[in-house]
Amino acid sequence: MSLALSTLLYEWRRYMAAVMALALSGLLVLAMTGVFIGIGKGFTATIERSSADIIIMQPGAKSLIGGPSGVPRRFIPLAYRNPAVVEVQPLDGAGGSFQSVKNVDPTMSQADRAKMGAPRQEFVQTSIIDTTPGAVTIPTDYSQELVDALRQPYTVAIDETATRKLGVKLGDRALYNGQTVTVVGITRGYPNMMQATIIMSRDTLRMVGQADTGPRVGPLMVKLNDPSQAERVAAELNEQGDGQWKAWTRQELADANAGAMFEEGILVIIIGGCVVLGTIIGVAITWQTLRGAIMANIKEFASLRALGVGMGSLQWIVMELSFWVGCVGVIAAILLTLLLQALALMGAVIIALPLILLIIVGGGLIVIAMLSGLLSLGILKNSQPADLLR
Amino acid sequence: MTGHTRVHGKHGDFAIEAKGLVKRFKSGKSFVEVLKNVDFDARHGDLTMVMGPSGSGKSTLIAALSGLLRPEEGRVDTLDVDDLWKLSGSRIDKFRLDHCGFIFQGFNLFPALSAIQQVEVVLKFQGLSKADARRQAQITLEEVGLGHRLHQKPSALSGGEKQRVAIARALAKNPQILFADEPTSALDGENGQVVIRLLRRAATEHGAAVICVTHDPRLEAWADRVIHIEDGVIIDDQRRIPNPDATLASH
Repeated sequence: MSLALSTLLYEWRRYMAAVMALALSGLLVLAMTGVFIGIGKGFTATIERSSADIIIMQPGAKSLIGGPSGVPRRFIPLAYRNPAVVEVQPLDGAGGSFQSVKNVDPTMSQADRAKMGAPRQEFVQTSIIDTTPGAVTIPTDYSQELVDALRQPYTVAIDETATRKLGVKLGDRALYNGQTVTVVGITRGYPNMMQATIIMSRDTLRMVGQADTGPRVGPLMVKLNDPSQAERVAAELNEQGDGQWKAWTRQELADANAGAMFEEGILVIIIGGCVVLGTIIGVAITWQTLRGAIMANIKEFASLRALGVGMGSLQWIVMELSFWVGCVGVIAAILLTLLLQALALMGAVIIALPLILLIIVGGGLIVIAMLSGLLSLGILKNSQPADLLR
Repeated sequence: MTGHTRVHGKHGDFAIEAKGLVKRFKSGKSFVEVLKNVDFDARHGDLTMVMGPSGSGKSTLIAALSGLLRPEEGRVDTLDVDDLWKLSGSRIDKFRLDHCGFIFQGFNLFPALSAIQQVEVVLKFQGLSKADARRQAQITLEEVGLGHRLHQKPSALSGGEKQRVAIARALAKNPQILFADEPTSALDGENGQVVIRLLRRAATEHGAAVICVTHDPRLEAWADRVIHIEDGVIIDDQRRIPNPDATLASH
């Protein structure tokens, strides 16, 4: 083990401030970015976890959120022309008002209901599944019981994190756009902090009058006989479509959805601000901590100088030390963020941490640590062996 | 003082020869002359003791001899180098790395490293392979009687043991010149005796020129040569027969 690493491990308390500064800088950026990606994920979870291997959208679409994504209905039979395709279903969904009617007369005015402490009317996003066995629109983690329950008309499922907000529990009735629906399922793992999502069958959506019945439908969800061929088939479909549509693999679309949030200028400003702040705080504290730690060992460094170890070698030790401090900081940042992620999930807030984000932020933290190391090199000038001769 | 300094000199050959060393320090608006035209030499195989009261310039002298502190005037010929102070800073570092050992009053050991690692670190900088450095470190620590304490960190070692690790760190390189600055003053009599015997042995058995700065007159018994310095001037230079079996009473 090298001198730098041994010193870091043995005197870890001395380096704790630097590690924590790096960890908190990392946490700041990871958590903010993760929350924004998570907001996007809240809207697209049902699609991203479906068994669709390919999604067909308009050629200009950049992601599922925003942008023109719907296609003409006649594309459905066109997609079936590829022999690898086994099922095509258009994605459908709507939005509406949701009113808990538990214990409260739904015909009373909003003001009167509010006085009685009744849950407020909420606007919800509605997603659909097809209840035919193995349908492409069913998320892979839905149980058969849930699908069976949703097959009944006028039934909905909501996520466990939305029950309090919507004021309903399993078995309760509620008004959706003024029509009575029954909550027959509670899902887990589909939180959406911006707007509660309810799930219903395509048939129920039609019965409440919101299904797409015209010539245009939502993005097409395509199931293949061999999911591992998704990339190849997507390319074939694109060729077949001849520019009329664009076929995405599920992974491509998920990545695009995560990135779509960052086309919002305000998010870039917020995250950019966090990066700048995190960098300044990280460098300042890590620099001062490293200086202090080097000063604490300055006599030992001076004795090495006396024995003929050059200044360059000592600088190398300091740079190696800052590298290791950076590595420990990255681990601490990721652990703290995972902890925060778990806590946030309890409050229905998703903090999404794609690997690429971890790599970028981790690399950034190591750069911050090395930069602090560079700034601390000046302190080594104090390692004057002549000072030891007193 | 005749003849030239050599790297692999026999006992009695010159290892260091310095002429006309002058060193001034700024003190307020005036300068204090700490070394006043000092001539000095040290020979292979000798334990040369430099003695004097504090502030006499003895530490400054070895700093100037070893390339740590540039004198205003004078030249230092050492081993195969003519005029050490004509070399660049990095060449002087390299010279020390190859040829010089240093022992200080404080032990200056890295708290994180075990005894054997303290010694290894320096050897690795000298370019030894990991395995060679480890072997050499172990041999040297056994030589200073710490064969059973190889893996202890400084916090687990006594003062005497720490100083022996510091000595092993200096001796492991097999230096032709060994500088020691008050090596016993932080130690009790018993440990001080162990340390001075090790320095004596470095001179006798390894043929190193050992230059030991001290104000402790009881160490004189082990010396081949005792130089007294006062106010930056050498006032006395005696050769004597060392007594390797002398004992050092407790401080």
